[in-house]
Amino acid sequence: MSGDRRDRPALREPRWARWAIFVGGIGFLVVFVVLPLATVAVEALRKGFDVYRHSLSDPDTVSAIHMTLAVAAIAVPLNCVFGVAAAWAFGKFDFRGKTILVSLIDLPFSVSPVIAGMVFLLMFGLQGWFGSWLRDHHIKIVFALPGLVLATIFVTLPFVARELIPLMQEQGTDEEEAARMLGAGGFRIFWSITLPNIKWALLYGVLLCNARAMGEFGAVSVVSGHIRGLTNTLPLQVDILYNEYNMVGAFATASLLAGLALITLAAKSFLEWRYADQLALTRR
Amino acid sequence: MTIEVRNVSKSFGAYHALKNVSLTVEDGELMALLGPSGSGKTTLLRIIAGLDQPDSGEVLIHGQDLSKQAVRDRRVGFVFQHYSLFKNMSVFENVAFGLRVRPRHQRPSDVEIKRRVDELLGLVQLDPFASRYPAQLSGGQRQRVALARALAIEPKVLLLDEPFGALDARVRKELRRWMRKLHKEINVTSVFVTHDQEEALELADRIAIMNAGQIEQVATPSEAYDRPATQFVSEFLGFANRLACQVENGVARVGGFALPVELENYAGDAVAYIRPHEIGLARANGHDIAKATIDSIVALGPSARVDLAFGDDRLEALIDRERLAELGLSVGDDCAITITRAHVFKSA
Repeated sequence: MSGDRRDRPALREPRWARWAIFVGGIGFLVVFVVLPLATVAVEALRKGFDVYRHSLSDPDTVSAIHMTLAVAAIAVPLNCVFGVAAAWAFGKFDFRGKTILVSLIDLPFSVSPVIAGMVFLLMFGLQGWFGSWLRDHHIKIVFALPGLVLATIFVTLPFVARELIPLMQEQGTDEEEAARMLGAGGFRIFWSITLPNIKWALLYGVLLCNARAMGEFGAVSVVSGHIRGLTNTLPLQVDILYNEYNMVGAFATASLLAGLALITLAAKSFLEWRYADQLALTRR
Repeated sequence: MTIEVRNVSKSFGAYHALKNVSLTVEDGELMALLGPSGSGKTTLLRIIAGLDQPDSGEVLIHGQDLSKQAVRDRRVGFVFQHYSLFKNMSVFENVAFGLRVRPRHQRPSDVEIKRRVDELLGLVQLDPFASRYPAQLSGGQRQRVALARALAIEPKVLLLDEPFGALDARVRKELRRWMRKLHKEINVTSVFVTHDQEEALELADRIAIMNAGQIEQVATPSEAYDRPATQFVSEFLGFANRLACQVENGVARVGGFALPVELENYAGDAVAYIRPHEIGLARANGHDIAKATIDSIVALGPSARVDLAFGDDRLEALIDRERLAELGLSVGDDCAITITRAHVFKSA
C-alpha cells in the first residue's frame, strides 16, 4: 500500500461510519470470543485456586487429560500423513474421478459427528458387522481408545488435506519437473522441493486438526461409552461434571481445553513471528 | 551431441499436438523452434527432454534412445518458461541442486561443488547474488540463475522453453546477445522454443518453423526469409503482401508482371507473396505496366511504409525516405509500381 489513506478521498469514510464499523467489530469479538473465555476462567476460579487445582487433580479428570492427549497424538499424525498424501495426489496429478474424491474428503464436514460415531458403533460394536469376530479375537474397538481414535480421525480428516489441496494445485508441478530434470529422485523431490513449499499451510492444517481432535465431542461421545477414568476425554468429562452440577469442576476442566487452544494459537503466532523473513521471501 | 527426433506423434485427447514430426539438430547447433501458440513447439521440446512421452516415434540423443535411460543419466539441461526456480533455496543452492542430488559415489565434494557453482555464477554474471533468494531477483537475473542451474549438470543438450518470453523488451535484447555469446563459449547443442521471430532470426543457427503440429521448414534464418518453403512460412516470417495470380509454363503473372517461378508442371490459380521491399515505386508516366494509388505514408526511421491501393488489393511497400522525397510522391498520388520478386504457391 502506497500513500496515506487520508490522501485518497475515495477511501475516506465519514467519521461516524468509521467509528460504527470499529465499535461493531470489536463489540462482536468481545461478546462472542472474549466474554465466553473470561466466563470460563472466572467460573473455574470462583471458589479459589486451591479448589481449582483440586478439581484438576481428580483421578477421573487426569485420566481424561491422558485420553485426550493420546487420541490427538495418534489421530493428528495419521491425518497429517493422509492429508499430505491426498493433497499430493490431487494437486500434482490428473486422473479419472478426481473431483468426486476431492468432494468426498469434505464429507466429514457436512455429516453430523454423531452420525460418524454411530457408523463406527454399527461396524465395530457388539451387535455390529464385525462385532462377533472382534469379540472372538478379544479386540476391543468401541468403548476403548481405538474407537475414539477412529471417530476423531474421521471428524478431523479434511483439515490438513483442505489446507493443502488448493495450495498444491496453485503451485503446480513446475519446481518438481525442474528437480526431476536435474536428476533428483521422487523422495528427494518431495523432501527438498514439495514439502518446504507447503510447510506453512501444513502447520496451519495440523494446528487446526489438533484443536478439533482435542475438542471433538459428538462422534467421540457415541463411541466412548462414557466410562469414567477409562474412556472419557476432556470434552466428555466437562459434560459429565456439568450435568452433575459440579460447576467448578466443569469449568476447571473446560479451562484446560481453552488453555490448549490458546497455547496452539500462541505457538502459531510465535512461529510466524520467528520466521517472518522466511515467509516473506518464499511467498511470491 | 546430435538430437534426432523420428516420426514423433502426440495427442492430448482428440487434439493432435504433434503429427509425425522428424527433426535433426546437429552437434553444437543452436536451433529455434518457431511457431504461433498451439503449434506444438513446447510439446516437442518437452518430449525431447523426456518430460512427456510421445504416442509414437522416438528421440535419440547422440544415437541413444532417452526413454530407456533413468532421468539422472540423461543429462538434459532444461530452462523452464517461468524459470521454476526453487523458491525456498538461495541462488547458490538452486545451482548446486543438480550436483547435490547425485548418487553418493558420483557426488562431488562440498569444496568441488562450491568451486563449480561459483564458476557458473561467474559465467552468468551473478557472483554477488549467490546468497539471495529467487524472490529478490529481477526477471533477467532469475533467467540467468535458471540457465546456470541447467548447466551445472554438464548437460549433453540444453533445452530452453521461451527463454526470454517473460522479460521486457530491453532486457530481452541484452540477454539475447549475451546468450549468443555464451553459446559460442560453451558450444552445447541447444534447442529453444519461441514465438518471437526476431528472437529466432537473431539467435539461431537454424530455425524449425512449426504450424499445427507439423514442421513446415527447417532452414537458416536467411534461407527461411528469402526462400520460404510454404505459404505459412511466407506469412509467418516477416510481412508479405499477398496477391492472387496465374501460373503457366513456369511463369507467374502477378499484377501485369511476368515472374519466373519453380512451379514448372503447374498451370492455374496461385498465390504470390511479395515482401514490402520487393515492390519498387516510380512516378506515373502513362506507359506503366501497373499503377497504384498512395493511401498513406508512415515514416519508420530511415524508411517509409507506403500503403497502396492496387485495384481491389492493398499493398505495403517499404522505401528509403530519401528516395521517396526524390520521387516527390505524396498521399493521394497515382504512382507506377514494379514487382521484382515473388514467392508463388499453388492455391490450396
